[in-house]
Parts: sequence; structure tokens; C-alpha cells
Amino acid sequence: MNTAALLGSYHPENALAWQNGQPISYSRFLSEVAGLADRLPDMPTVINLADDRYRFLVGFAAALVRGQTTLLPPSRAPRALAQIARACGSSYCLADGLETVEGIPAFQIPVGGWSAAPNPKVPQIPLDHPAVVAFTSGSTGSPRPNPKTWGSLVSIARSTGVRLGLKASDHTTVVATVPHQHMYGLEASIMLPLQHGMAFHVGRPLFPEDVRVALAEVPSPRILVTTPLHIMACVTARTPLPQVEFILSATAPLSVSSAKQAEALFHTSVYEVYGFTEAGSLATRRTVAGETWHVLDGIALRPESNRYFLQAPYLPEPIPFPDLVSLQGPHRFVLYGRGTDLVNIGGHRGSLGDLNHKLSEIEGVQDGTFFLPDDTGTSITRLTAFVVAPGKSAKQILSALREVIDPVFLPRPLHVVPTLPRNETGKLTREALLGLLQELHKEERHGI
Amino acid sequence: MSASRLETEVAQLIVQTLNLKIESSQIQPEQPLFGDGLGLDSIDALELSLVISQSYGYQIRSDNPETVATFASLRSLCNSIGKNRTK
Repeated sequence: MNTAALLGSYHPENALAWQNGQPISYSRFLSEVAGLADRLPDMPTVINLADDRYRFLVGFAAALVRGQTTLLPPSRAPRALAQIARACGSSYCLADGLETVEGIPAFQIPVGGWSAAPNPKVPQIPLDHPAVVAFTSGSTGSPRPNPKTWGSLVSIARSTGVRLGLKASDHTTVVATVPHQHMYGLEASIMLPLQHGMAFHVGRPLFPEDVRVALAEVPSPRILVTTPLHIMACVTARTPLPQVEFILSATAPLSVSSAKQAEALFHTSVYEVYGFTEAGSLATRRTVAGETWHVLDGIALRPESNRYFLQAPYLPEPIPFPDLVSLQGPHRFVLYGRGTDLVNIGGHRGSLGDLNHKLSEIEGVQDGTFFLPDDTGTSITRLTAFVVAPGKSAKQILSALREVIDPVFLPRPLHVVPTLPRNETGKLTREALLGLLQELHKEERHGI
Repeated sequence: MSASRLETEVAQLIVQTLNLKIESSQIQPEQPLFGDGLGLDSIDALELSLVISQSYGYQIRSDNPETVATFASLRSLCNSIGKNRTK
């Protein structure tokens, strides 16, 4: 059986995680994983809700050792979690707080409490084991499962680390502002450290000052794994960040001017990683060096009819690109747009088709659509929604939506209207919706 | 500055910064800013933290992005600003 080790390199006394300024060693980690693996319920799939990055990892690794699969839901909305649990059959939930998932058993990840095993062994995990299933919202209303084998996670972590020049001997520490339950967070803040002998900070800093404090709590050399939103917040606040070897950004495009400012202000380099849930991370670039993305080793891009497909040894079949790209050779490409169904709000990607479907399923809603207005440049542009729902208020519909979609996609505002401006074929054009929006603004101004 | 004047000022700042389609006087001082109240999220918190740092010289910190006690309500936010402001 082909396997890959849980850890790319193992130095028992090295720090794997930093919690409240204290190191947690690799050997303690292996002991805790072995201890938890013995106690996990005998069920095939698990939703791991742990907020603490280290405790998430202990749960994730223990599940791997037991041959279980960790499910990564598309959002933390209660109904979305319950839907995933139902769809996957026999599942349980792991948590480090009070959060649970409706309808399935909950299990707490204990804090410590095990005597260290004398010589804990580094577990070997079969390459073809489905380590995680990452769910995307799909465009039809039901979440789409994207299984990831352990082999694919390891391959991507290794090739990303090589590209970024990470060496186990440097023992670099990651501070990440992104959640570990999403693919980018899992790859960059969990798999990268595991496979390159690195360490990570257990927290998830939000505000610029949080980022500064988290970086100061861990030893140098360090890297910051984050998003354009957090980078711009730190740039705007001119936060005096401790020295970082580089900043890694993903989830939304970073502008060259933002990257230049960040590089100058923080005396570092800014790299971006590009990927999508179906394929995982697949390319990188240094933002200030230009718009060309360089695919990771082992990945190739193939044109087929009028689309581009991605091939990699760990992908069972070629995967179509969701974004519009132009090839500059088999290993380089430029992005020039998004598919029309996709929206990106502050780094969270969603499908308009899926959001519309969820809206239409709300009781009392007869017709409705989400709409992304033009960017005004003042703050993050949010979605608008137009809803036909006689007898229902905007507040009632928003409450129902909150149960089923990620809060960043909640419409601001939600307009309850008598009808939608559908054309004779039943389509809603962008022009018609912009017209409706203008009408509504006019009415507001006239106090109607 | 009196507490209520600061509340009026910060309510205006919230509406302007986040481009909310409401009057600042509609924000109740004890109403939750997140979730079922005003419906803000962590992206808003990040945007607000920047204008608060620019306007009042207060660098907001949190230990857990999901439960930002400072942002519980307009009143708690103003209490924090009042205690920590440097301008």
C-alpha cells in the first residue's frame, strides 16, 4: 500500500504550534493524536468545528489515523452544517467549544491529559485515503462534494513549499488570518507546516493589531498567511508588523499597487497563491512581478474546445477552470475574469445560482434574485436582493436566509418588490435589475 | 465628549463607512451590531476598526474574531473608544 507520512520531517522537541506564547512540541502532538484516535467514535466521517488551529489539527490527524474523512462545510450557518451531516450519512462532530451540529453526536477534543508516549511513531497514511471532502455551494442548491485524497494534499503542500523556498531546517512559523476549515487555510496553515517541519500560531487574528501581536508571539523566521482584505487593513493602519519572510495571499485578487505598498511598508515580499476548491492550490506569483501565474510542479493546463482544463497526477480527471484565463504556455497563465455565476465578497466565493436557489426555497418567496451592484470603491461591495413575497417583510426573509447562507452573502439591502422585471423569455438582465434599483432609489428620495 | 454625543458620532461613522441604507439615528445603542441586530460581520468589523483607528487613534484588538465583545453594541463600542482613544 502506498503511503505518505503525516509529517514531512520529525524533530520531536521542535515546536509545532504556539498557544498563548507557549510552544507545543511535535512529540506532544503525536501523543495527543494517538490518544484521541483511540477514543474517537467508530464513524466514517467527521465535521471538525474546532476554532483553535492546534486542536483542529489534533482532531484532523486522529481522524486520518482512524481512516476517517473530515468534512469541510461551505459555511458555518447551522442549516448548512446539518445539511452536510445529513447528506453524508453516519457522521459526528468534533469541537473545542459549545458549537454542535443538529442531528449528529458531538465529541469534545480534550485539552492535553495524556501521558506522553515514550517514542510516538509518525503515522503513515494511505495516499488514496479520502482525507477531506470540501463542499462547494454548487449552482443547484445542494452542496457539491469535492473529495481530496491524502496524496493530493501532500503533493500540493510539497510543491507549494518548494515554490516558496520553505526548508524544514529554517523551522519557519506560520501566522494565519484565514480559517483552517477552508481549503486555502487547510493547505497553507495546516498541510504546509506538517509537510515542511514548520510551526504555526493557533489563533486567527482579525484586526491589524491582532496580526501584529500574533506575529510578535512567535519566533522568527515567520510568514503571514492571509487575504487581500487583511493586507489592506494592515497597510491602511500602517501597523508596525514584526519582520516576516513573506506574506502569502489568496481568496481574491490582490492589486499590484496594494502589493507594492505592503512590500515597502513591511520590508517583505508578497506572494499570491491561486486555487479553487475543486483543484486546490495550483499556481503562485509574486504580485509585483506582473500578472502571470506560474503553475505548481506537476500541473499542466490543456485547452479543450473553448475551455481550459487542469491536469495533475493526483486528480482523477481533468478539471475545468471556473475563471477565465489565457494561456501563456502549458505552465503559465493570466486571469482575466470570473465566470458570470461566481461572486467574491471580501474573499468569500459564492455562486449566484446557489444563492438564488436558497432564496427561492424560503417559505412565502414567490420569486427573487441576488444581484451584485457595481463597485463603488468606498467599501466592500455587498449583494443586493430583490424578492417577491406577498405578506412577508424584508426582516423575515433575512432571518430565514441567515439560517442557510454564509453571512457575508446576506443582501444589503433586501428589497421586497411586487414583481421582478423578467423579459419575455423569463430572463432577468443586468440592465433590467439596474433599472429596478434606480427606481427604488428614486422612490426613497421622494419618500414614497 | 458626552457619551451620547460620541454615540451619535460613531453611529454616523458606521453608516457612512459600511454604506448602510439606514439613518444613523435608527441604530439603537443596545442593539447587537452583529447577527440578528444590525447584521454586521467580521469584514465590517475590520473596515470599522480602520476608521476608528484613524478617527480616534484606537487600535482595536480581539482574541476571537467571532465574539468581538467590543462590537457587541454601539454602546459597548463607544465605551471602548472612550477608554482607549488617543485623539
